[in-house]
Amino acid sequence: MPGVNTSSLPDIIFMLLFFFMVATTMKEVDMKVEIKKPTADQAIKIEDKDNVDFIYIGFPLDAENGTEPRIQLDDALVTDYTIVSDWKMAKAREGKTAFDIVTSLKVHKLVGMRIVSDVKEELRDIDAIKINYSADKR
Amino acid sequence: MPRPIQEINAGSMADIAFLLLIFFLVTTTMDVDAGISRTLPLKRPVDPNIEYPEVHKRDVLEILANSNDQLLVEEKFVEIEDLRDIVMDFYTANDNGMDNNPNMPMFEIVNPGSCNVKLAALNADLVKTPDNADLKREIEKWTSKLQLCSSMPGSTYYEMSNMSIIQLKNQANTSFGLYIEVQNILKSVVNELRQKMCDELDWGVYLELKEDGPVEDQDKLKMLRVLVPERIVEARIDR
Repeated sequence: MPGVNTSSLPDIIFMLLFFFMVATTMKEVDMKVEIKKPTADQAIKIEDKDNVDFIYIGFPLDAENGTEPRIQLDDALVTDYTIVSDWKMAKAREGKTAFDIVTSLKVHKLVGMRIVSDVKEELRDIDAIKINYSADKR
Repeated sequence: MPRPIQEINAGSMADIAFLLLIFFLVTTTMDVDAGISRTLPLKRPVDPNIEYPEVHKRDVLEILANSNDQLLVEEKFVEIEDLRDIVMDFYTANDNGMDNNPNMPMFEIVNPGSCNVKLAALNADLVKTPDNADLKREIEKWTSKLQLCSSMPGSTYYEMSNMSIIQLKNQANTSFGLYIEVQNILKSVVNELRQKMCDELDWGVYLELKEDGPVEDQDKLKMLRVLVPERIVEARIDR
């Protein structure tokens, strides 16, 4: 019995590869908090992802970090919300002010509003007033 | 004598492609980034001598989401399903300039004459204090209004009381999910009304007008913001 002809196998795999390259986006960070985003039918896709900073607020995945909601900036969990404005200033791109860069808040839907309110006030202190509340399109 | 060209062994091609495929599977995510955009008010030192105009209760729509995730509008419990109608009513109850509902904001008629009088007064003030940013913003606003008059049929339109605001209050344990629910409703009402305006004026699709697009798009957006204002005030949750 002759073997199965596998000469087109690379082509098939390449097709799959291209599909994933086109349909997915790079992960920005390693998640240290669990985030189940709320849904909203008015949510609009963020087009210019390069000019957006992401702040993650959710429940720690690692039990060592407790069960209270925590803020994740880039790859690290922070305890004190007042660090947010320094972090945002340090991320400023050349020729742009904090005002120009949108801040996307990715928040777990069960997190209380106090921590969100604190972060928003921090951002207002440095005029970073353009906010995007991350939500999945319903 | 040239050597015969050997065929390249392509047997491992599939393995290489597999490796690449697995690399992309691991390092990428499928989720799209979507969300509701908002611009927070700027923080500026307040002049203690400033005289605030009187706030009428009818101009303020107070929405409170409390720590138990219950919703109160004007201190009365409401269901989330009813909120949309309440907000819609806030925007449209008196939008024909009549006093149909005395608990909702008034609308006043704007015509080119009143715009020009106001602009002349503002420009005269600007000559005295050329660096006043507030004045410049005010002039820009009235220029938009004047432009709006010329775009409207009959050269006049009704504008919502400029004191009208939506006051969004949260408590420490209000869930972010409920907050987004409320924001989503506010956004959907404003988007619907602005789209309605766009249809009346034959301006195309509201969500396709771009802030960084052509000048006429920017002008249209400015005018739509005057016609259907989105004034949301949020208080900080006390620590």
